[in-house]
Amino acid sequence: MVRAPYSSGPGMVCAAAVLACSFVAAGAHNGVTHKSADEAARHLKEQENTPGFPNIKGGDFRLIDQSGSGRSSKDPQNRFQLLFFGYAKCKAICSVALPRMAEVADRLEAEGVMVTPLLITVDPERDTAAALAEAVPKYHPRMIGLTGSEKALDEAYRAFQIERKVVFVDPEQGAVYAHGSYIYLLGPDGTFKTLFPPILGPERIAELVHRYIGGKS
Amino acid sequence: MKMRRLRTPAATVLASLACFIVAAGRLSAAPGAQVVEIKGEIIDTWCYLSGVMGGPDAVVGSAHHTCALWCAAGGIPVGVKAEDGTVYMVLKVKGEDPLAQTDTIMELQSDSIVAKGQHYVRDGVNYLVVADVISNEGITNRNHEDFGVVPGFAIPEKK
Repeated sequence: MVRAPYSSGPGMVCAAAVLACSFVAAGAHNGVTHKSADEAARHLKEQENTPGFPNIKGGDFRLIDQSGSGRSSKDPQNRFQLLFFGYAKCKAICSVALPRMAEVADRLEAEGVMVTPLLITVDPERDTAAALAEAVPKYHPRMIGLTGSEKALDEAYRAFQIERKVVFVDPEQGAVYAHGSYIYLLGPDGTFKTLFPPILGPERIAELVHRYIGGKS
Repeated sequence: MKMRRLRTPAATVLASLACFIVAAGRLSAAPGAQVVEIKGEIIDTWCYLSGVMGGPDAVVGSAHHTCALWCAAGGIPVGVKAEDGTVYMVLKVKGEDPLAQTDTIMELQSDSIVAKGQHYVRDGVNYLVVADVISNEGITNRNHEDFGVVPGFAIPEKK
Protein backbone atom coordinates (compact mmCIF):
# COMPACT_ATOMS: atom_id res chain seq x y z
CA MET A 1 0.00 0.00 0.00
CA VAL A 2 1.31 3.44 -0.81
CA ARG A 3 0.06 6.83 0.16
CA ALA A 4 -1.09 9.18 -2.55
CA PRO A 5 1.26 12.14 -2.75
CA TYR A 6 -1.39 14.57 -3.89
CA SER A 7 -4.98 15.02 -2.89
CA SER A 8 -6.06 15.16 -6.50
CA GLY A 9 -3.78 12.27 -7.18
CA PRO A 10 -3.48 9.96 -10.10
CA GLY A 11 -6.19 7.70 -8.81
CA MET A 12 -8.56 10.35 -9.96
CA VAL A 13 -7.21 9.90 -13.45
CA CYS A 14 -8.92 6.58 -13.54
CA ALA A 15 -12.10 8.06 -12.19
CA ALA A 16 -12.07 10.75 -14.81
CA ALA A 17 -11.33 8.26 -17.51
CA VAL A 18 -14.07 5.98 -16.35
CA LEU A 19 -16.64 8.73 -16.10
CA ALA A 20 -15.68 10.12 -19.44
CA CYS A 21 -16.04 6.68 -20.90
CA SER A 22 -19.59 6.12 -19.81
CA PHE A 23 -20.68 6.82 -23.34
CA VAL A 24 -19.08 3.76 -24.84
CA ALA A 25 -20.19 3.18 -28.39
CA ALA A 26 -22.67 0.35 -28.62
CA GLY A 27 -21.08 -1.05 -31.72
CA ALA A 28 -17.57 -1.42 -30.32
CA HIS A 29 -16.38 -4.74 -28.99
CA ASN A 30 -13.09 -6.56 -29.11
CA GLY A 31 -11.62 -3.79 -31.17
CA VAL A 32 -13.91 -4.62 -34.07
CA THR A 33 -15.80 -1.65 -35.38
CA HIS A 34 -19.10 -2.03 -37.14
CA LYS A 35 -20.94 0.48 -39.23
CA SER A 36 -24.07 0.20 -37.14
CA ALA A 37 -25.33 -1.24 -33.89
CA ASP A 38 -27.47 -3.66 -35.88
CA GLU A 39 -24.45 -4.95 -37.72
CA ALA A 40 -22.60 -5.36 -34.42
CA ALA A 41 -25.52 -7.24 -32.93
CA ARG A 42 -25.71 -9.56 -35.92
CA HIS A 43 -22.01 -10.26 -35.69
CA LEU A 44 -22.19 -11.04 -32.02
CA LYS A 45 -25.20 -13.30 -32.40
CA GLU A 46 -23.28 -15.36 -34.89
CA GLN A 47 -20.68 -16.20 -32.27
CA GLU A 48 -21.43 -19.09 -29.97
CA ASN A 49 -19.98 -19.45 -26.51
CA THR A 50 -16.92 -21.63 -26.24
CA PRO A 51 -17.71 -24.61 -24.01
CA GLY A 52 -15.66 -24.98 -20.85
CA PHE A 53 -15.44 -21.34 -19.89
CA PRO A 54 -13.50 -21.10 -16.61
CA ASN A 55 -15.92 -22.02 -13.93
CA ILE A 56 -16.84 -19.41 -11.37
CA LYS A 57 -18.10 -21.13 -8.28
CA GLY A 58 -20.34 -18.23 -7.38
CA GLY A 59 -23.48 -18.44 -5.36
CA ASP A 60 -24.17 -19.53 -1.85
CA PHE A 61 -23.17 -16.35 -0.05
CA ARG A 62 -24.91 -15.33 3.14
CA LEU A 63 -24.55 -11.65 3.88
CA ILE A 64 -26.40 -8.70 5.42
CA ASP A 65 -28.34 -6.21 3.33
CA GLN A 66 -28.70 -2.49 3.93
CA SER A 67 -31.72 -3.01 6.17
CA GLY A 68 -29.74 -5.31 8.41
CA SER A 69 -31.54 -8.43 7.22
CA GLY A 70 -29.85 -11.59 6.09
CA ARG A 71 -29.59 -12.08 2.33
CA SER A 72 -28.36 -15.17 0.59
CA SER A 73 -27.42 -15.63 -3.03
CA LYS A 74 -30.94 -16.82 -3.76
CA ASP A 75 -33.20 -14.04 -4.84
CA PRO A 76 -36.29 -14.01 -2.61
CA GLN A 77 -38.41 -12.87 -5.53
CA ASN A 78 -37.01 -15.51 -7.86
CA ARG A 79 -35.36 -13.02 -10.20
CA PHE A 80 -32.11 -13.07 -12.10
CA GLN A 81 -29.47 -10.94 -10.41
CA LEU A 82 -26.72 -8.60 -11.55
CA LEU A 83 -23.83 -8.60 -9.09
CA PHE A 84 -20.92 -6.20 -8.75
CA PHE A 85 -18.17 -6.05 -6.15
CA GLY A 86 -17.29 -2.49 -5.22
CA TYR A 87 -17.74 0.12 -2.54
CA ALA A 88 -19.85 3.17 -1.89
CA LYS A 89 -17.03 5.69 -1.90
CA CYS A 90 -15.45 4.41 -5.11
CA LYS A 91 -15.10 7.15 -7.70
CA ALA A 92 -13.58 4.95 -10.32
CA ILE A 93 -15.10 1.89 -11.93
CA CYS A 94 -17.99 1.63 -9.47
CA SER A 95 -19.22 5.01 -10.62
CA VAL A 96 -19.80 3.51 -14.03
CA ALA A 97 -20.58 -0.12 -13.30
CA LEU A 98 -23.30 0.58 -10.74
CA PRO A 99 -25.21 3.11 -12.87
CA ARG A 100 -24.76 0.71 -15.77
CA MET A 101 -26.33 -2.11 -13.77
CA ALA A 102 -29.13 0.24 -12.80
CA GLU A 103 -29.74 1.18 -16.41
CA VAL A 104 -29.79 -2.47 -17.40
CA ALA A 105 -32.35 -3.15 -14.67
CA ASP A 106 -34.47 -0.25 -15.90
CA ARG A 107 -34.24 -1.30 -19.53
CA LEU A 108 -35.30 -4.81 -18.66
CA GLU A 109 -38.06 -3.64 -16.36
CA ALA A 110 -39.46 -1.54 -19.19
CA GLU A 111 -39.65 -4.76 -21.15
CA GLY A 112 -41.39 -6.56 -18.33
CA VAL A 113 -38.31 -8.37 -17.01
CA MET A 114 -37.33 -7.76 -13.41
CA VAL A 115 -33.73 -8.32 -12.34
CA THR A 116 -32.17 -7.48 -9.01
CA PRO A 117 -29.00 -5.36 -8.93
CA LEU A 118 -26.63 -6.35 -6.11
CA LEU A 119 -23.53 -4.69 -4.70
CA ILE A 120 -21.24 -6.68 -2.41
CA THR A 121 -18.88 -4.32 -0.67
CA VAL A 122 -15.11 -4.66 -0.75
CA ASP A 123 -14.92 -1.94 1.90
CA PRO A 124 -16.82 -3.33 4.88
CA GLU A 125 -15.07 -0.98 7.29
CA ARG A 126 -16.89 1.98 5.76
CA ASP A 127 -19.78 0.22 4.05
CA THR A 128 -21.87 -0.64 7.05
CA ALA A 129 -25.51 -1.52 6.51
CA ALA A 130 -26.41 2.06 7.39
CA ALA A 131 -23.90 3.48 4.93
CA LEU A 132 -25.15 1.17 2.20
CA ALA A 133 -28.73 2.16 2.98
CA GLU A 134 -27.75 5.70 2.13
CA ALA A 135 -25.58 4.90 -0.86
CA VAL A 136 -27.24 2.22 -2.96
CA PRO A 137 -30.65 3.87 -3.52
CA LYS A 138 -28.78 6.66 -5.26
CA TYR A 139 -27.92 4.17 -7.96
CA HIS A 140 -31.22 2.31 -8.13
CA PRO A 141 -34.25 2.07 -5.85
CA ARG A 142 -34.16 -1.71 -5.96
CA MET A 143 -30.40 -2.13 -5.60
CA ILE A 144 -29.38 -4.34 -2.70
CA GLY A 145 -26.16 -3.45 -0.87
CA LEU A 146 -24.52 -6.32 0.95
CA THR A 147 -21.96 -6.47 3.70
CA GLY A 148 -21.19 -8.99 6.37
CA SER A 149 -18.60 -10.52 8.61
CA GLU A 150 -15.04 -10.80 7.38
CA LYS A 151 -15.47 -14.54 7.04
CA ALA A 152 -18.72 -14.29 5.10
CA LEU A 153 -17.33 -11.66 2.76
CA ASP A 154 -14.11 -13.60 2.20
CA GLU A 155 -16.18 -16.59 1.17
CA ALA A 156 -18.05 -14.45 -1.34
CA TYR A 157 -14.82 -12.96 -2.69
CA ARG A 158 -13.33 -16.40 -3.16
CA ALA A 159 -16.46 -17.74 -4.79
CA PHE A 160 -16.35 -15.01 -7.42
CA GLN A 161 -12.53 -14.80 -7.58
CA ILE A 162 -12.38 -11.24 -6.35
CA GLU A 163 -9.29 -9.76 -4.79
CA ARG A 164 -9.61 -6.53 -2.86
CA LYS A 165 -6.57 -4.50 -2.07
CA VAL A 166 -5.92 -0.97 -0.89
CA VAL A 167 -4.02 0.77 -3.68
CA PHE A 168 -3.38 3.96 -1.78
CA VAL A 169 -4.94 6.22 0.79
CA ASP A 170 -6.23 9.47 -0.58
CA PRO A 171 -5.83 12.21 2.01
CA GLU A 172 -9.34 13.44 1.30
CA GLN A 173 -11.25 10.29 0.41
CA GLY A 174 -9.51 7.63 2.42
CA ALA A 175 -8.69 4.16 1.17
CA VAL A 176 -8.89 3.55 -2.55
CA TYR A 177 -9.39 -0.11 -3.38
CA ALA A 178 -8.45 -2.24 -6.31
CA HIS A 179 -11.14 -4.78 -6.98
CA GLY A 180 -12.62 -6.68 -9.85
CA SER A 181 -14.78 -4.91 -12.37
CA TYR A 182 -16.78 -7.66 -14.00
CA ILE A 183 -20.54 -7.66 -13.64
CA TYR A 184 -21.80 -11.15 -12.83
CA LEU A 185 -25.15 -12.51 -13.91
CA LEU A 186 -26.65 -14.92 -11.41
CA GLY A 187 -29.74 -17.02 -11.76
CA PRO A 188 -32.60 -16.70 -9.28
CA ASP A 189 -31.04 -19.55 -7.29
CA GLY A 190 -27.70 -17.75 -7.16
CA THR A 191 -25.91 -19.87 -9.71
CA PHE A 192 -23.33 -18.19 -11.89
CA LYS A 193 -24.54 -17.68 -15.45
CA THR A 194 -21.98 -15.40 -17.04
CA LEU A 195 -19.98 -12.24 -16.56
CA PHE A 196 -19.81 -8.99 -18.45
CA PRO A 197 -16.75 -6.79 -18.77
CA PRO A 198 -17.58 -3.18 -17.95
CA ILE A 199 -16.81 -2.11 -21.49
CA LEU A 200 -20.15 -3.49 -22.62
CA GLY A 201 -22.88 -0.91 -22.86
CA PRO A 202 -26.17 -1.26 -20.97
CA GLU A 203 -28.13 -2.05 -24.10
CA ARG A 204 -25.80 -4.94 -24.91
CA ILE A 205 -25.84 -6.28 -21.36
CA ALA A 206 -29.64 -6.08 -21.31
CA GLU A 207 -29.76 -8.00 -24.58
CA LEU A 208 -27.46 -10.69 -23.19
CA VAL A 209 -29.43 -10.97 -19.95
CA HIS A 210 -32.53 -11.49 -22.04
CA ARG A 211 -30.81 -14.34 -23.84
CA TYR A 212 -29.77 -16.02 -20.59
CA ILE A 213 -33.20 -15.66 -19.09
CA GLY A 214 -34.51 -17.15 -22.27
CA GLY A 215 -32.53 -20.28 -21.68
CA LYS A 216 -29.12 -19.70 -23.27
CA SER A 217 -26.28 -20.97 -21.08
CA MET B 1 -4.16 -9.14 -41.59
CA LYS B 2 -6.16 -12.32 -41.37
CA MET B 3 -6.10 -14.28 -38.14
CA ARG B 4 -6.18 -18.03 -38.22
CA ARG B 5 -6.88 -20.48 -35.49
CA LEU B 6 -6.00 -24.12 -35.48
CA ARG B 7 -8.34 -26.45 -33.70
CA THR B 8 -6.55 -29.75 -33.29
CA PRO B 9 -4.15 -30.47 -30.47
CA ALA B 10 -1.71 -32.12 -32.78
CA ALA B 11 -1.66 -29.32 -35.24
CA THR B 12 1.73 -28.17 -36.29
CA VAL B 13 2.57 -24.67 -35.31
CA LEU B 14 2.65 -22.57 -38.42
CA ALA B 15 4.96 -19.64 -38.37
CA SER B 16 2.96 -18.01 -41.05
CA LEU B 17 3.54 -14.35 -41.52
CA ALA B 18 -0.19 -13.96 -41.78
CA CYS B 19 -0.90 -15.67 -38.49
CA PHE B 20 -0.66 -14.18 -35.06
CA ILE B 21 -2.50 -16.94 -33.36
CA VAL B 22 -1.10 -20.40 -33.58
CA ALA B 23 -2.09 -23.64 -32.00
CA ALA B 24 0.22 -25.19 -29.48
CA GLY B 25 -1.79 -28.10 -28.16
CA ARG B 26 -4.23 -28.15 -25.32
CA LEU B 27 -3.08 -27.05 -21.91
CA SER B 28 -5.43 -28.93 -19.66
CA ALA B 29 -8.96 -30.12 -19.39
CA ALA B 30 -10.78 -27.22 -20.90
CA PRO B 31 -13.28 -28.58 -23.37
CA GLY B 32 -13.75 -26.34 -26.30
CA ALA B 33 -11.06 -23.83 -25.53
CA GLN B 34 -8.41 -23.32 -28.15
CA VAL B 35 -4.82 -23.00 -27.06
CA VAL B 36 -3.35 -20.02 -28.79
CA GLU B 37 -0.29 -17.89 -28.91
CA ILE B 38 -1.06 -14.26 -29.34
CA LYS B 39 1.46 -11.62 -30.19
CA GLY B 40 0.38 -8.17 -29.25
CA GLU B 41 0.36 -5.31 -26.80
CA ILE B 42 -1.20 -5.27 -23.36
CA ILE B 43 -3.74 -2.48 -23.36
CA ASP B 44 -6.21 -0.66 -21.19
CA THR B 45 -9.44 -2.02 -22.65
CA TRP B 46 -11.58 0.75 -21.27
CA CYS B 47 -9.83 3.68 -22.84
CA TYR B 48 -8.99 1.80 -26.03
CA LEU B 49 -12.47 0.51 -26.79
CA SER B 50 -14.34 3.63 -25.74
CA GLY B 51 -12.05 6.02 -27.58
CA VAL B 52 -12.91 8.95 -25.37
CA MET B 53 -9.35 9.51 -24.21
CA GLY B 54 -8.10 9.72 -27.75
CA GLY B 55 -7.71 7.79 -30.92
CA PRO B 56 -6.61 4.18 -30.99
CA ASP B 57 -3.03 5.09 -31.74
CA ALA B 58 -2.84 7.43 -28.75
CA VAL B 59 -4.41 5.36 -25.96
CA VAL B 60 -1.84 2.59 -26.12
CA GLY B 61 1.89 2.35 -25.61
CA SER B 62 4.06 4.69 -23.60
CA ALA B 63 1.72 7.64 -24.14
CA HIS B 64 -1.09 5.98 -22.23
CA HIS B 65 0.97 3.91 -19.82
CA THR B 66 0.29 5.94 -16.69
CA CYS B 67 -3.46 6.05 -17.21
CA ALA B 68 -3.45 2.37 -18.12
CA LEU B 69 -1.75 1.49 -14.85
CA TRP B 70 -4.35 3.33 -12.85
CA CYS B 71 -7.20 1.81 -14.78
CA ALA B 72 -5.76 -1.67 -14.26
CA ALA B 73 -5.19 -0.96 -10.57
CA GLY B 74 -8.83 -0.01 -10.31
CA GLY B 75 -9.86 -3.34 -11.73
CA ILE B 76 -10.52 -2.47 -15.35
CA PRO B 77 -9.68 -5.54 -17.40
CA VAL B 78 -6.55 -5.41 -19.46
CA GLY B 79 -6.51 -6.84 -22.91
CA VAL B 80 -4.11 -8.09 -25.49
CA LYS B 81 -4.42 -6.21 -28.74
CA ALA B 82 -3.21 -8.62 -31.35
CA GLU B 83 -1.47 -7.33 -34.40
CA ASP B 84 -4.62 -7.82 -36.45
CA GLY B 85 -6.46 -5.47 -34.09
CA THR B 86 -8.49 -8.11 -32.26
CA VAL B 87 -8.71 -7.43 -28.54
CA TYR B 88 -8.66 -10.33 -26.10
CA MET B 89 -9.83 -9.61 -22.58
CA VAL B 90 -7.37 -11.16 -20.15
CA LEU B 91 -9.54 -13.16 -17.79
CA LYS B 92 -6.86 -14.80 -15.70
CA VAL B 93 -3.10 -15.11 -15.55
CA LYS B 94 -1.05 -18.19 -14.78
CA GLY B 95 -3.51 -19.88 -12.50
CA GLU B 96 -3.89 -16.93 -10.16
CA ASP B 97 -7.24 -16.87 -8.47
CA PRO B 98 -8.44 -13.30 -8.97
CA LEU B 99 -9.96 -12.46 -12.31
CA ALA B 100 -7.53 -10.30 -14.25
CA GLN B 101 -6.60 -8.08 -11.39
CA THR B 102 -3.20 -8.95 -10.06
CA ASP B 103 0.26 -7.50 -9.68
CA THR B 104 1.32 -9.62 -12.63
CA ILE B 105 -1.08 -7.72 -14.83
CA MET B 106 0.27 -4.43 -13.60
CA GLU B 107 3.79 -5.46 -14.46
CA LEU B 108 2.76 -6.31 -18.01
CA GLN B 109 0.74 -3.21 -18.78
CA SER B 110 1.62 -1.65 -22.15
CA ASP B 111 4.25 -4.31 -22.89
CA SER B 112 4.64 -6.05 -26.20
CA ILE B 113 4.31 -9.72 -25.48
CA VAL B 114 3.65 -13.14 -26.85
CA ALA B 115 1.17 -14.91 -24.60
CA LYS B 116 0.15 -18.52 -24.65
CA GLY B 117 -3.18 -19.47 -23.23
CA GLN B 118 -6.71 -20.63 -23.72
CA HIS B 119 -9.04 -18.63 -25.89
CA TYR B 120 -12.75 -18.50 -25.21
CA VAL B 121 -15.53 -16.63 -26.89
CA ARG B 122 -18.37 -15.80 -24.56
CA ASP B 123 -21.27 -13.50 -25.27
CA GLY B 124 -19.38 -12.23 -28.28
CA VAL B 125 -16.31 -11.24 -26.28
CA ASN B 126 -12.88 -12.82 -26.74
CA TYR B 127 -11.30 -13.92 -23.47
CA LEU B 128 -7.82 -15.19 -22.84
CA VAL B 129 -6.66 -17.24 -19.88
CA VAL B 130 -2.93 -16.66 -19.98
CA ALA B 131 -0.91 -19.74 -19.16
CA ASP B 132 2.44 -18.24 -19.95
CA VAL B 133 4.03 -15.09 -21.26
CA ILE B 134 6.47 -16.57 -23.70
CA SER B 135 8.28 -13.38 -24.47
CA ASN B 136 8.12 -9.82 -23.29
CA GLU B 137 9.88 -7.02 -25.08
CA GLY B 138 8.66 -4.40 -22.63
CA ILE B 139 7.13 -1.18 -23.86
CA THR B 140 8.13 -0.95 -27.47
CA ASN B 141 5.39 1.40 -28.62
CA ARG B 142 7.09 4.70 -27.75
CA ASN B 143 4.20 6.79 -28.95
CA HIS B 144 4.69 9.41 -26.26
CA GLU B 145 7.18 10.88 -28.69
CA ASP B 146 4.21 11.68 -30.93
CA PHE B 147 1.36 12.18 -28.48
CA GLY B 148 2.96 13.10 -25.16
CA VAL B 149 1.10 11.82 -22.11
CA VAL B 150 -2.47 10.71 -22.92
CA PRO B 151 -4.53 12.01 -21.27
CA GLY B 152 -2.48 15.00 -20.31
CA PHE B 153 -3.70 14.95 -16.73
CA ALA B 154 -2.56 11.38 -16.18
CA ILE B 155 0.48 12.76 -14.40
CA PRO B 156 -0.95 15.37 -12.03
CA GLU B 157 0.81 18.56 -11.16
CA LYS B 158 2.03 18.84 -7.62
CA LYS B 159 -0.12 21.18 -5.58
